[in-house]
This record gives sequence, C-alpha cells and structure tokens, in this order.
Amino acid sequence: MEKENMTQPNWASSTFGMEIQPNELNYAPDQLTNCFFNPNWDNSVDQSDPFESALSSIVSSPAASNAGAIPGGGGDGLMIRELIGRLGSICNSGDISPQNYIAGHNNNNNSTNTSCYSTPLNSPPKLKLSMMDSQIRGNLPIPGNHPSLAPFSPDPGFAERAARFSCFVSNTSCMGLNETELPYRLMPRVESGRLSRAASNQSLKLATGSQMGVQENNRSSPQEANLAADKKLSRLSRSSTPENTELGDSREGSSVSEQIPGGEVSNKVDTETKGRKRKSIPRGKAKETFSLTTPSAKDSKAALDNDESNAKRSKQDEDAGNEKDTAKGKTEPKTAGDVNQKQNKDNSKPAEPPKDYIHVRARRGQATDSHSLAERVRREKISERMKFLQDLVPGCNKVTGKAVMLDEIINYVQSLQRQVEFLSMKLSTVNPRMDLNMDALLSKDIFQSRGALPHTLYPIDSAMPTFPFGYQHQQVPSLHSSIANGTENQFPVNSLNAALRRNPSAQLPPIDGFGEATPEVSALWEDDLQSVVQMAFGQNKQQSFHGSMAAAQMKVEL
Amino acid sequence: MNSKRFSPTSSTIKSRFTRRFLRALLKINRQRTRTPSSPMEICQRYLKVKLAADVSMASAVGSRRAWSRAMLAKIRHGVRTGSMCSLTMMRKRKIYHRKKSTKEVGIVGNAKVLRKLVPGGEAMDTCSLLDETFHYIKCLSTQVKVMTRIADQICST
Repeated sequence: MEKENMTQPNWASSTFGMEIQPNELNYAPDQLTNCFFNPNWDNSVDQSDPFESALSSIVSSPAASNAGAIPGGGGDGLMIRELIGRLGSICNSGDISPQNYIAGHNNNNNSTNTSCYSTPLNSPPKLKLSMMDSQIRGNLPIPGNHPSLAPFSPDPGFAERAARFSCFVSNTSCMGLNETELPYRLMPRVESGRLSRAASNQSLKLATGSQMGVQENNRSSPQEANLAADKKLSRLSRSSTPENTELGDSREGSSVSEQIPGGEVSNKVDTETKGRKRKSIPRGKAKETFSLTTPSAKDSKAALDNDESNAKRSKQDEDAGNEKDTAKGKTEPKTAGDVNQKQNKDNSKPAEPPKDYIHVRARRGQATDSHSLAERVRREKISERMKFLQDLVPGCNKVTGKAVMLDEIINYVQSLQRQVEFLSMKLSTVNPRMDLNMDALLSKDIFQSRGALPHTLYPIDSAMPTFPFGYQHQQVPSLHSSIANGTENQFPVNSLNAALRRNPSAQLPPIDGFGEATPEVSALWEDDLQSVVQMAFGQNKQQSFHGSMAAAQMKVEL
Repeated sequence: MNSKRFSPTSSTIKSRFTRRFLRALLKINRQRTRTPSSPMEICQRYLKVKLAADVSMASAVGSRRAWSRAMLAKIRHGVRTGSMCSLTMMRKRKIYHRKKSTKEVGIVGNAKVLRKLVPGGEAMDTCSLLDETFHYIKCLSTQVKVMTRIADQICST
C-alpha cells in the first residue's frame, strides 16, 4: 500500500520527484473543498484552517470597532475590508486584485478556492491596497500611494501575501470570492486573481495543515495559533517556489495583521523590505513554543518541514548571494527574540530570480559572522534530511546522532541491495513456466501488489519463524554485526537444511530434495555471493536475510 | 481508491518498474535453453536479471534523480566494455567489503561509505547525498517489494 508512503514526511514532491506524493495530494482536493466551503466555519473548527480561525479573532475586533464606519455589505465584509485596509496601509505596492474581497456575497462556490490561488506569481503586481484602503475609509479612490504609506517601501511580494491573507480571511468568513463580482465593487482591490494556480496543491496543504493545526488553535492564544498557522503553512509550502511564496506571504500577512491593532507595523515593514527570501532562523524558538502547545509528532514534522522548505528554497538560490545575506544577517542581529516577526520570511521572489538570496538571521546569542551563519544553514539542512531518513529507515526512531544514523542508513541500503540481488537470483532460477502467465502476472502485479503483498509476506513469516522475512523485521545492530563479522568458512548448509525441514511450509514444498544439489551449486557461485550467503547462514538462527531462504529455494528449483 | 491507483494509465515508479522488469524477465527467460541449465548459465542469468532490475528501476525513475542518471551511465558504460566488466565489479565490491572493516568513524566516514553505496554519490555534497539516499532507499524498497511479489507468484504457480 502506498499508505506507508503517505505517512512519510511530506517531502517536497518536486524536489524529490516522488510520485508517491502526488498520489497523496490527489486525494486532498475533496477534503479541501469540504474544509473550505463550510458555511458555518465558526462551528466547524475542526475543518477550518487555523490561520483563518486565528484571523477571525483579529477580524472580529476591528469589525466591532468599525462596524458603522465602512459602507458596504454584511459584517463579514466590513471586517474583511477593514483588515484589508490595514494591510494596505502596510503594503503599498504591487497589485492585488479586488476580485477576492467581496463583502457580503456568500458565493460558496468552487471558484473561491481557485480564485484565491490563481495569481500567477511571475507577474509582480502593483499593490493598489492604498487605493483600497482609502476606499474603505471614505470611498475615495486615491491614485498612487497613500500619504500614510510613505514610510513603507513597496514590496510586491507582500502584496501577494496580503492577497493570500485576505483570501484566507474571505474563505474563513465564507465570502464569495468570485472574480466576476469584484470589479464593480472594489476596483483597486487586491488582485488575488493573480495568485498562483498551484491551487490544488496549496489548498490541499492548507487543508492538511488545518487538520493539524486546529487543536493548537483551540488551546493556544491567537498569537500561538498564528504561529501554528504559519508553521503549517510553511510546512505545506515546501514543494515549489510559487507555493512557498504564497504561503510565506500569507504568513507574513498573519503576523502583520496581528500587529496591526498594535500599530507596530514599521518593524514588520522594515524586515519585509529587507528580506525577500529568508530562512527563519529563530524558527528554533518557534519550534519549541510550537511543540509546547501540541506535543504531537506532527509538530516536529511541521517544524522539520518548515526547515525543509526553507532549506529547499535557499538551496535553489544559495549561490546567488549567500554572502550578501549573511552580511544582512549581521545588520539585523537580535530581532530573533521576536517570535512573531521572524517567523516565515521564506518567500522567494519568482519575479526576480537573479536577486534571490537567502536571508539568514542570526539566532539570539549566536555568532553573526557569515561563515558561521552559512555553516549553520548547512547543518540545519543536513539535520532535516537526516530526520526524514530516520522516518524512512525502520527501527531508527531511538537512534540519536548523525553518525549512528548514517550507520543505520548504510546498513539498510546494503541490505536492500542484497535483497535485490537475492531476488534476482531467485528469479533467474525459476522455471520457464512463467512465460505462460506473464501477462497475468503483469496485470496482477500492478493491480494487486499493494494489497496482496502483505498477505504473501505473512504466510512466510508464520511458516518460518526462525527466518524472519526481510531486513525490515530484524534488529539492525545484529545485522550490522553480522556484516562486520562475515565468516569465510564453508557455510553450514546442513544445519540450514535441518532448520528448513523443521518448518515445512507450503511455500517451500521441494525442500526435502534439495540437499544433494547444494554442494555443487555452492561451489560454483561467485565469490562475493558466497560470502554474503555465508554471512547470512552464519546467523541463520537469529536473523536471516530473505535471501537465505531465497537461496535455499533456488537450489531447490534446480 | 485502489482502482484509481492501480489503473493501467497511472504511472507511478512502481508500475513503471514492474512493467519494464517483467518485460525484461520474459526476454531473459525466452533465451533459456531447453536442457537443464548449468550452474554457470544460472550465474549469467542471475547477472542478467540483476542488471534488468537495475536498469528498469533507473529508467522508471528517469533522469530526475542524480542516482538514476549515474546508474544508467554506469550500465551503459558497462555494456560498452563488455560483460566481463560486471565480474570485475563484483570482485571490487568484495574488496570493498574488506575495507569497510577498517572502521571509518564519524559522519564523514559514514558519508564516504554512503557515497559508494548510492550510485553517483561520489560527486555530491552531503546535503544532496542525503536527498539522493532518501529517494534511492524508497526506490530500492519498491523494487524489493515488486520482485518479491513476482517471485512469490512465480514460485507458487
């Protein structure tokens, strides 16, 4: 079953080229639509995005204060527009289409999702939030930048982030995000139509993220929920740069929105303008807070994936300007203490790839010189990947430390390679009657391999308790020791025969007659095959390769 | 869900590998002589089957990953230099096993060993080496599962 693959960490599918990931993602759209189109989002906390629910708390506060001031549709629309206005005051550059911010229109149609994610990231949109903001305030379109936005330098990426943020807010309140309806409503509105069309993937990720992050939301403060949302989103935004940008933007939006009521926007904007693509170094701290709220394995995974996503993105553009970034990291040293701020600046700007570089922020109390920063980045990347490998290799959960982990990985790879060798040996000795049912085999394998494989495994296991099937069920250290102490003696075939005869099974019917053929076959094997088999047979009581049984079977079928 | 996954049109690594490998197996079996095979023939057939498994796995992955590219390049090089190359390779691997007992400790030492294991691992930095290892392990386990299934089906019928 690909179930085991689905439980794997969500590696960036594009980076690792795993077809397994797209399969997993294929199933999410259904869940996603359910998740996002729930009209009673207040009640369906389990399904809604934690981001949205966090936003709702923010939305409600400005809505309460400005209920009467903003003309327009329903209360939800007022909240949204107020928020957008505040957002607009932050980001005064770039285009965000107005299409997604319909107030009072509950068009819970499928276009909601797609419109939110339909911005092509290649176009650096000019944010006209300033106009929108002013429109909110007084329905007066103001061309160009609002005077109050003067201190904030334009950040096109932030426009997209704000767009995404507003999109989430709209989704939360089940506002109809209909592209067709918006133009007449808010001309200069945020242009979320420009959001990337990696919609399905992203929606999926949000859905999965929402599933994970819901609990935190319930328990933790909005701030932490924002963190959780950020983490989830960052975790989900691994696979591709545009998607990363989107989610990073939204994360920005969330953290920004939190500070909007507080009025501490300047800090945010400064960091915004300085950082196109950042590795959130203080993520380490966020990780801790994160794990505190919900001690689940998924949290660490989210944090991992967050790192992973950053690692991936930074990897793409590392050469471009790592030195520059670490220098920048120097100039912004100790803001790492602010968990909110640093959180997820990992937005790569697809519109300006040559300028992309990694912003590495020095952690609090750590060295800020470029060398150590770069080294830390590298170490973090390696440890992320080691964690993923830990999930993949069976029996490595208790192992700590990279060296031991690498040992286990090496053993596992070697055992897999040997298994392949033994299986190919087995297949090479099989009778040619396979020709008759090859087509049946072909179709049967493809269709049933997942489901039937466990069944084929178990009978062998039950029948041969002294020969556990395959490496996966064995103790790793014992295997390692067997490799290290490989003996070159003539392997005790007779003892093997006896062991096999002790456990007759339907799987090995011709066992009884194979003892005679064994010696001459063994003499003619390749040297290294022999050594491997000897190693296996040397430990045949405690653990066995699948290959040892296969070898026995092969001799049988001669 | 199962039907969707395993439909003939879906092309996962697993299905692609299965198809190619079975085709190769058929081809190899057609070359079998009717007379009982000598052990040397069996050995050669074994090598062919192993090669077929590697080739079908690497080609199922395609050029997306460095290890599959390296494996395909190695195989093509091996084909060009003749089949004797595989025997020398196996002897080299035996020597490699002996060397491993000298215990290279630490992450760097293990990384070196890993580089030799993973095809194409020599020319990678540690970070991408771990990436490739991850994908390689996944594909290897897929390979093992498929081959086990094939073997069981063949032996049981």
